[in-house]
Amino acid sequence: MTTPSFRDVELLSVSLDGQLSQAEKRRLESRIQLDPALAAALVDLRQARAILRRTPIRRPPRNFTLTPKMAGIRPPVPRLVPVFSWASAVAMLLFAFTLGTNLLGRLSFGAAAPLMASAPMTNEGSGFGGGPAATQPPATDNTQVIPTPETFVMTAPEATSSGETRLVAPPEAPAPKATPEPVNIWLYIWLGLAAVLIATALLIRRASVQAFRRKVGGKHNL
Amino acid sequence: MDEVTLIRVAQHGDLDAFNTLVLAYQNIVYNTALRILGDNELAADASQEAFISAFRALNSYRGGSFRAWLLRTVTNACYDELRRKQRRPTTPLEPETEDGDEVETPRWLADPNASPEEKLEQAELEHAIQHCLENLPTDFRAVVVLADIQGLDYTEVAAVVKKPLGTIKSRLARARLRLRECLQSFRELLPESFRLEEERSL
Repeated sequence: MTTPSFRDVELLSVSLDGQLSQAEKRRLESRIQLDPALAAALVDLRQARAILRRTPIRRPPRNFTLTPKMAGIRPPVPRLVPVFSWASAVAMLLFAFTLGTNLLGRLSFGAAAPLMASAPMTNEGSGFGGGPAATQPPATDNTQVIPTPETFVMTAPEATSSGETRLVAPPEAPAPKATPEPVNIWLYIWLGLAAVLIATALLIRRASVQAFRRKVGGKHNL
Repeated sequence: MDEVTLIRVAQHGDLDAFNTLVLAYQNIVYNTALRILGDNELAADASQEAFISAFRALNSYRGGSFRAWLLRTVTNACYDELRRKQRRPTTPLEPETEDGDEVETPRWLADPNASPEEKLEQAELEHAIQHCLENLPTDFRAVVVLADIQGLDYTEVAAVVKKPLGTIKSRLARARLRLRECLQSFRELLPESFRLEEERSL
């Protein structure tokens, strides 16, 4: 009994699955009757296939159904959300711009203070970028009398025992009042607007997520 | 809804329709993964991955056998898992006792409705088959699992593994021969009917 060639084994395997043409099948059957090695190989293949077909089918340990999260499905974003988001971003930019110009104004005012001290301030601008005028206290309050040698007056010689002449300073000018610096109203407006817009966007988003969960959550245990 | 309608609806993003398909195919998908990978947890992971990938790639399905399309996804997931497994230390197929010994007849193999003798026979047969399957090259294993265990025809198997029919026939014949040789070493574990048949053939 000779070992069948691989070509014969392949033919036998294909014939087991009924994939041979009628002519091929007849030829193979006549050969099997004459060759016991082919018949034995056919039995081997048939047994292998029969054993494999008896492989127990196992139940999956769990269901493989997908949740929206696994499937990458997200709640739809309402159209208004990006509108509010962009609007709040613009409000924040305006807030930053106003704050920046205010700070710059203060810095420049601080640098120019000694010069301005001698000159009365007449500029009282009030635009939302006009820092120096708005934050500057009234010129009259700010004008200090700096004692100079010229302001000292020669007083009449007092009757002292030593007979010396002394310089006496005139009575001191009243100290300037500490007035609170006015804050630019636009800072509050932009900040408040940005907060309201962000809160609105978040509320809309939240309502949309809750609606989405009500719609699909019950089915998928979200 | 029939399968074609479910697929069409799922292609428009309906998760419920897709999950109906999942429930219909999860048995075959899981068992295919289990026989290719030989590990319960890995098979479950590969099956889940396959269904996620299938949902995301559902629009690439252009008709034909949906079962074959789905099995191609799970076969690819199994190949990925086997490649990962090769890079990691392997774990034994059988569960271990607290002392680290293998459990010979694991409880997780048992069918709750079978008698103790049947359970033992099933477990031993499954052990023998799985052992022999794992000795096959991966490509042969996939072909024999799909054709002989899952009952796909040659055309479907060719669609799953993306090989020509001739390659499928050749691989299946080789795989059956090798399995027969391997299973002979488990002769005493095989069901009595097979042993009798074998003895008659001698």
